[in-house]
Amino acid sequence: MYSFHNVHKGILQNINVTIEKGEKVIIFGPSGSGKSTLLHLFNRLQDPDEGKIHFKDNPIQSYHIPDLRNQAGLVMQAPHLFPGTVLDNIKYGPSLRGDWREQDGEELLAYVQLPTEYLSRDVNHLSGGEQQRVSLARTLANKPEVLLLDEPTSALDQHTIEEIEDVLEELIHEHQLTMIMVTHNLKQAKRLGDKGIFLSEGEILESGLILDLLETPTTTSLQSFLA
Amino acid sequence: MSPEISNQSLLFLIVFVLVPLWLSYYYQLGLKRDIIWSSIRGALQLFLIGYALNFLFDLPAIQGIPLMLSVMITVASFHAKKKGEGIPRMLSTIVIGLILIEGSVLSLWLLADMIEFTPSQVIPMSGMVIGNSMVAMGLAIERMRSEFKENEGRILAALSLGAKPSQSSKIILQQTLQSSLIPNVDQLKTIGLVQLPGMMTGLILGGVNPVTAIKYQLVISLSIFSAVSISAIYITLMTYKYFYNDRMQLKRMESE
Ligand SMILES: Nc1ncnc2c1ncn2[C@@H]1O[C@H](COP(=O)(O)OP(=O)(O)OP(=O)(O)O)[C@@H](O)[C@H]1O
Ligand SMILES: [Mg+2]
Repeated sequence: MYSFHNVHKGILQNINVTIEKGEKVIIFGPSGSGKSTLLHLFNRLQDPDEGKIHFKDNPIQSYHIPDLRNQAGLVMQAPHLFPGTVLDNIKYGPSLRGDWREQDGEELLAYVQLPTEYLSRDVNHLSGGEQQRVSLARTLANKPEVLLLDEPTSALDQHTIEEIEDVLEELIHEHQLTMIMVTHNLKQAKRLGDKGIFLSEGEILESGLILDLLETPTTTSLQSFLA
Repeated sequence: MSPEISNQSLLFLIVFVLVPLWLSYYYQLGLKRDIIWSSIRGALQLFLIGYALNFLFDLPAIQGIPLMLSVMITVASFHAKKKGEGIPRMLSTIVIGLILIEGSVLSLWLLADMIEFTPSQVIPMSGMVIGNSMVAMGLAIERMRSEFKENEGRILAALSLGAKPSQSSKIILQQTLQSSLIPNVDQLKTIGLVQLPGMMTGLILGGVNPVTAIKYQLVISLSIFSAVSISAIYITLMTYKYFYNDRMQLKRMESE
């Protein structure tokens, strides 16, 4: 689905990654290590300073940018909701292309464990966790093939986190999605991920099966990060 | 009231300068030089303009009007451009905008027979339109810049959902235009009640019948209102794209 060759961007040094279709990849590492920056390269919210990125076997530059961003749906670290109602937010992406269907609203809110009445709520009156969920629903509304999730459940309680994880797994399974997720929650990483990428100060220090990384770390950096 | 202020009377204006000077001295505001300098400079500028206008008004309209309009548009453009530092082709965008706006307003005035094509009518009226448009453009640019900064996250979110810059910018265009227009809407609402507008005051002092003065004031106020609206929309639509690169990414904004 993706391959990175010697990519450099800001703090990120010499990133080489290959991600297959259907994989669930966890990016983790200390704060400031470049996780969000890396995620932004997948949908061209930013471009590398050096190196090449391929998406589905073609150079990522060969895709029409709005289409690429639709296909690779990003949930940013902060919700950044648009002024207006919850509905205004979740229909934003589809409406750009004129394919919003009113009946989708209810389903999208159900995905993120919010009641239907919330559609007409002003986003200013939502709690932090509710905003985070609306932000996730807003990205899901575009029906992306790739989910780029930047700590999408960091503001939620354990129960809601697990409910949303179930929904994500179901969607991923049903539509054969690829997921690339940044999380600080290592239990979540274990539950959701197949593969892991450990970033530290802009470099990939270890990558492989997530269980291997978490249970038998080889570098001292990862060992001390997990300790 | 005498029709003209004598030069001796004018000397008493010193009193009005002494008040702020004394305040500055007493409260140690450190504004002494500024006050003296700006009073002298203001007076000189006005007298010079007065003589220049006398000269222009004596020229045939077809020479005097284009000459003065060019000067006004040039000065206004350089002034408004300062707010748009870092935005490419700012000067030419502003010049073209001011020419279009002044051109259409002036044509309407002349076609509808509101004023005559003589320097003494066209120049002061146009000066007000150009001056207000200049301020409106500057404000809109400034406002847009701060809206882009404030809403960076939302714009990134919109782009990442597949919005093109023209679409993602809608989030802030509304804010930018609103804040450029609201002062004018408010001003129109209270016009004449709080403060008699400058032009009307001038005409009345010059001995013109208040109702006639009001007609002129209406023409100018509504012309300014419309010119200011168009200026804000024009400059916003012409420049928002410079906040993005050609890959539909938000440009890093140099932090001031
Ligand atoms: N817009 C920016 N301009 C300049 N530097 C930036 C910008 N965004 C991020 N950085 C820098 O790049 C580095 C990586 O930031 P990034 O946001 O990718 O980290 P992160 O791993 O996501 O951290 P966190 O876990 O805190 O979210 C940091 O040192 C940060 O200061
Ligand atoms: Mg981050």
